Amino acid sequence: MFDAHDEGVPPDCVNVVLHVWDYLDGRMPPEATLVFAAHLAHCGRCDRYRRFQQRFLDALSLLRTRRGAPWSVKGRVLASLSDAGYAPR
Amino acid sequence: MQIANNAFRDRDAAFEREAIPWIDDVYRFALSLTRDEADADDVVQDTFLRAYRSWHTYLPGSDCRRWLFTICRNVFLRSRERARPTVELDSTEVDAIAIGAVYSAAVREGYDDVFARLDLGPAISAALAKVPEPFRSTLIIVDVEDQSYEAAAELLGVPIGTVRSRLFRGRRLMQEQLLTYAKDAGFGIGAATSGAATTCLTPTMKECRQTA
Repeated sequence: MFDAHDEGVPPDCVNVVLHVWDYLDGRMPPEATLVFAAHLAHCGRCDRYRRFQQRFLDALSLLRTRRGAPWSVKGRVLASLSDAGYAPR
Repeated sequence: MQIANNAFRDRDAAFEREAIPWIDDVYRFALSLTRDEADADDVVQDTFLRAYRSWHTYLPGSDCRRWLFTICRNVFLRSRERARPTVELDSTEVDAIAIGAVYSAAVREGYDDVFARLDLGPAISAALAKVPEPFRSTLIIVDVEDQSYEAAAELLGVPIGTVRSRLFRGRRLMQEQLLTYAKDAGFGIGAATSGAATTCLTPTMKECRQTA
């Protein structure tokens, strides 16, 4: 259905498969971005693929928790810095 | 003597102001790399000690978090006694096409909405842990820690093109794992028929496949 090796897949759709991450990462030149976005606007299949990849990246970003270092780790860091001469005011 | 003491005090004040606030972020980064709390503790301690001893090499006011991440990653690699990889891939098109084919299979079998599932969190963590280096570091830096390609290139000491190729390979490896997980966990059309593991708990619920 979305195999870029399939000769029946239109070139613009192949371009989406090849460069969707460049598009989502904001790494495309402005002109190419406009062309890419214009294709997504009227190709439902490609836009679904774009959403699929966007959701993957969103899921990865959720791993960016606000978990902090345990107090024991902070204590160790400050103790070792103190041994090295660290003495903030 | 007084001048030297003042210099040390200024150094320590600057270190306290610019580096110490990043302990939490460095710990999280170290934990992502080591996947072991005890090892992460050691890496964090060694990172800040090295940072303090080489504070004279840090450019005041620049991106201290990135500087610390660089030190942290080097500490991690030394702790694993790994040589820096010398074979780099330039196969981004291969990875893009491969994941397109995997997506096609997912659409056919009804689990292409897998990334919209709220219950996928542990699977995402597990899949990331299985991605080998150097791809995992790149994924963590860019996709988890939201650093730019340029920042990742500087942190990893590689060209931006290498960041891109490692990132694409890492994403492909993760997606292949996750889609296999989804299939095995019964996220597909067949499971929908049986009522198992198909609830979409997101605003995209309208995109969930409906059974006849």
